[in-house]
Amino acid sequence: MKYLTGRAATALLFLCLAVSPLFAGNSYDRTFREASDLMAQGELDQALSVLQNIPPPSGDEEGTAFISARMQSARIHASRNDNGKALEACREVLNLYPDNSEALNFEAALERKEIPRWRSFLADCVKFLPVLGKGAMMTLLLVLCTMLISPFGGLLIALGRISTIPPLSGLCWFIIWFFRGTPLLLQLFFIYYGLPSAGITLSPMLSAVIGLGLNYSAYLGEIIRGAIQSIDHGQMEAAKAIGMNYRQAMFRIIIPQTYKRLMPPIGNEFIALIKDTALVSTIAMVELMRSADQMFNTYFNITALVLAAIIYLAMTTLFTFVFEKIEYRAGIYEQR
Amino acid sequence: MSKDNEPLLALEKITKRYRNIVAVNRINLEVFPGEKLVIIGPSGSGKSTLLRSINLLEEIDEGVIRFEGREVGYTTKNGRRHHDTPSAICALRAEIGMVFQHFHLFPHMTALGNVMEGPLTVQRKPSEEARRIAAGMLEKVGLSDKMDVFPATLSGGQKQRVAIARALAMHPRIMLFDEPTSALDPELVGEVFETIHKLADEGMTMVIVTHHMGFARELADRVIFMESGSFLAEGTPVELFGANQTNERIRSFLNRLI
Ligand SMILES: Nc1ncnc2c1ncn2[C@@H]1O[C@H](COP(=O)(O)OP(=O)(O)OP(=O)(O)O)[C@@H](O)[C@H]1O
Ligand SMILES: [Mg+2]
Repeated sequence: MKYLTGRAATALLFLCLAVSPLFAGNSYDRTFREASDLMAQGELDQALSVLQNIPPPSGDEEGTAFISARMQSARIHASRNDNGKALEACREVLNLYPDNSEALNFEAALERKEIPRWRSFLADCVKFLPVLGKGAMMTLLLVLCTMLISPFGGLLIALGRISTIPPLSGLCWFIIWFFRGTPLLLQLFFIYYGLPSAGITLSPMLSAVIGLGLNYSAYLGEIIRGAIQSIDHGQMEAAKAIGMNYRQAMFRIIIPQTYKRLMPPIGNEFIALIKDTALVSTIAMVELMRSADQMFNTYFNITALVLAAIIYLAMTTLFTFVFEKIEYRAGIYEQR
Repeated sequence: MSKDNEPLLALEKITKRYRNIVAVNRINLEVFPGEKLVIIGPSGSGKSTLLRSINLLEEIDEGVIRFEGREVGYTTKNGRRHHDTPSAICALRAEIGMVFQHFHLFPHMTALGNVMEGPLTVQRKPSEEARRIAAGMLEKVGLSDKMDVFPATLSGGQKQRVAIARALAMHPRIMLFDEPTSALDPELVGEVFETIHKLADEGMTMVIVTHHMGFARELADRVIFMESGSFLAEGTPVELFGANQTNERIRSFLNRLI
């Protein structure tokens, strides 16, 4: 019995030793919780004084709590537009940890606040635009590739769909059904992450072009089929009556008449395409969206996203304008 | 050239059905070179279907079509009908000109482009030659000054004359007109009739469906009255339109038109 009590006591002692650091840590946790409760109640001054209670680390002690406390104070000061005090808190950290990135970024952000907004915006532009520009070039390349491929793919699918050969029209029906019926994101994942398991490994760019190309071919296929079938049946008859075969009638007479009525819906699809390219950022393509996201995550600076939005808008505006011009040209024969 | 007693076009018991209606019912017809045949009859009697069957725009269910003596569209082997190849069908259509009630001009091509299209694409003539032929045909229908305009800017009569030129540019052996003036304003009918008359004077073989009895009387060598897919009567204009027409059905039809 005595023996047993002795062992239990030893075990209890070891247990206490093992959890003691947790209790030590807990004392700071309690301070932080107290501070955040105070902040929630709007008692910012009290919160600040509580945070101030956490001293700089002595000797080998970890500095995490100290850094968190001072940065929290800096944020409170900054939220009250007291940049001087906020900077002070930042620099307290930097004096001990000159490499701390959180403090460095916050200091930079505070210093930016001192200079006029438009100048800091310009400075951001200069910083972000080269990277975003590169991304935009990638997006543009992707858009142009898809715009080049999908009308031809769409035409093939449309012609297959209206053909009287059952396996061909069935196949084209299936392509349309599949690519319109599943999310583009899923198709991209399937091509980039799924195909390698079948022994086909494609670069992000190739995967993106194939995914977007197939998807948009399927959409344009339906649009083109509708346009072909909307042409007066008499046109086909007149073409046949002068001895044309099906191919000649299609390519010389029917399809050229669809151009004008194709432009508005196709323009619409292409505008959607410009924005859909953002999805390929998920398969390791560094295009405009990905670049903007990277900038935003590095600098916590909303300007990167604003600039990306402006570039997307510029692209869609430009293409809208171009499509309108083409539509006008395509229908010039209808004018009296 | 085929001899006068040999028909250019011969239909033997051709029949065309649409589900439950018989649009053309066992029709026999011979058209001789240089002949001007006019087909009249009430709406829905199968006139258009008959014309469209001749150049194989309509697939007939029974019967034989002979063009210059040879069987076209289908070949019958061991009692089974087989389709001709698409290229044979196109070749036949190239020799038969057709003019539609609603013109069906190609709106994306100029008047000249419309007329050139056959020689250029079907006959694969060099574009210079096709242009020369087309310009000649447009001059023939009196539209030399409209060569470079799009159909949208032409009047109905002008459109139909371009359509006639388009058919003529293929140098067809026979011309089929399906109510060529029915879609026109009355004051524009004359110019189209004049063009057809001119063609008739040159000796073109033609089959014309029309509701204009005056025109039929003037032009036709032979008039056929069609009803419910069959020929009800056949004869010279005098015989059909004359006062001694005894068939009550035809008399009432003619009276209604006049
Ligand atoms: N594509 C079609 N499908 C079903 N029935 C049709 C079709 N085309 C014509 N028909 C029918 O066939 C019959 C003959 O039609 P058709 O057009 O040859 O007559 P029509 O004599 O030319 O008449 P109209 O003077 O009105 O032009 C009509 O009863 C018509 O309803
Ligand atoms: Mg008709």
